[in-house]
Amino acid sequence: MLKSFSSATLIKLEILRTLRNKKFMFFSVIYPSVLYLIISGTSSSATIPHTHLSMQLYYLVAMASFGSLTAVLMGNSERIAKEREKGWVRQLRLTALPGHGYVVAKIASAATVTLPAILVIELVAAVLKNVRMETWQWVALTFAVWAGSLVFAALGVAIGYIASGDAVRPITMIIYFSLSILGGLWMPATIFPQWLQNIAEWLPTHSYAALGQAIELGDAPHMKDIGVLLVYLVLFVGAAAWLYRKDTKKA
Amino acid sequence: MHTGAEDANGPVVSFRDVSKVYGQVKAVSGLNLTLRPGETVALLGPNGAGKSTALDLLLGLRNPDAGTVEVFGTTPGRAIAQGRVGAMLQSGGLMEDVRVRELVQLACDLHPKAYPVQEVLEHAGVTDIADRMVNKLSGGQEQRVRFALATAGASDLIILDEPTTGMDVTVRQAFWGTMRAQAELGRTVLFATHYLEEADAIADRVIVLHRGRILADGSAAEIKAKAGARRVVFDLEGPIDETALRGLPFLTSLSVSGHTVRIQSTDADATTHAVYGLGLYPRNLEVTGLGLEQAFIAITDAASAEENN
Repeated sequence: MLKSFSSATLIKLEILRTLRNKKFMFFSVIYPSVLYLIISGTSSSATIPHTHLSMQLYYLVAMASFGSLTAVLMGNSERIAKEREKGWVRQLRLTALPGHGYVVAKIASAATVTLPAILVIELVAAVLKNVRMETWQWVALTFAVWAGSLVFAALGVAIGYIASGDAVRPITMIIYFSLSILGGLWMPATIFPQWLQNIAEWLPTHSYAALGQAIELGDAPHMKDIGVLLVYLVLFVGAAAWLYRKDTKKA
Repeated sequence: MHTGAEDANGPVVSFRDVSKVYGQVKAVSGLNLTLRPGETVALLGPNGAGKSTALDLLLGLRNPDAGTVEVFGTTPGRAIAQGRVGAMLQSGGLMEDVRVRELVQLACDLHPKAYPVQEVLEHAGVTDIADRMVNKLSGGQEQRVRFALATAGASDLIILDEPTTGMDVTVRQAFWGTMRAQAELGRTVLFATHYLEEADAIADRVIVLHRGRILADGSAAEIKAKAGARRVVFDLEGPIDETALRGLPFLTSLSVSGHTVRIQSTDADATTHAVYGLGLYPRNLEVTGLGLEQAFIAITDAASAEENN
């Protein structure tokens, strides 16, 4: 009871800090929408092969997911690595805060960035690209993309703990690009050779995009995709919390 | 005052045969140490003596390679979770993009036995900078904020790693005033320092650490005595027989330069008397007390010489 209360203060403060970081907020919110406008440029209503989705619909989910991924992965991993270097994490470990408190706070602050980014790209899609869906679909899509981003926020925390200093950015980049491309966030994964598709199918980004695509087609998200994401979430949160406590290197 | 009956007499901290090795370097080697409730203890040593490692082990930030570390009869982690330990690290950074007050508020919220924020800010002397952003502070101000974080609640043990680094003289004095007030509340205070006058003035127990071992452990006065409490300086005319001087009773060190003889002695009266006994006529005789600084240098020098031989 006391502990969850104390974590709440940290969450509040982490969110406040993120909101104060205006540059980061601005780019994270605007960037996916700009990419969306560029990529889904044509007004053709032809569907993308094997997906039953128009270009605009496909890339709405792809770019909303990609933008969220960017914000949470980049934001968390680099920031945490920096905080470790500066010794803030050491100081925090001298408080009664439980290991998961820090991870939860980091994920929560990342989530405050992704929600506006998702809302903005949906607005752009509806107003500029004439994307039309049922109200429930808009609401479900927002929620799915937002909730799914938490998985990658936890991954960002874990990376911030494994890597340090100069290694953080390249490691984050490699994970970021391979997850984005193989997960089909940049182009439909159906253009890959079959063996690669077989691997890609089990990536968290693939399931992440699949949540939104199912909603766009008017279906409920598949249990398999939800299951895959939950497994990754547990894995990443566990790794992050474990690494937080384990971090006995010179920070 | 906040200690339960079960550990009122038990040690606050106990190190038993604790060692920590980094590669080839023994940062801490076979350390045995017990802190009793209410003590104000200075941990003194040159850079690389193992002070920071010892404090890291005490706080559970590192695990020992051998031996056990207990704080209030339990693991460091558990003692911290119970809010019994407040610590200010040299390497402890501060959260950025927040105001001082917000950060101190966080420390208070995280402490199981927290004080009101306003009180913590006042005691640490940071009320006037409470609304500033943490990343805009000077080194001395940052130190005071760290102190505020360490004293956010009623911890029974306060650990300070070189707390006055970066503070100017007046701030430093005010800081130690605050620290004494903490000690008077019955807190156990352990601080690492290389400001030897601080150890002399504030601590009622001084532990000298050198190459991961305890060289001396006692009151400041005892440490001074251990190194040779007094310095005897005089001039001699004519050639100086160093071998004869080395045989003086209670002598702990001797240096001769030109006509001037400098002696450190644990019993200056007896040593001086023996100088006359040698048939010498010391001129410009001076007998002075040895500061802790010299005592400390003498002890560590002696230890290094022993290890090299």
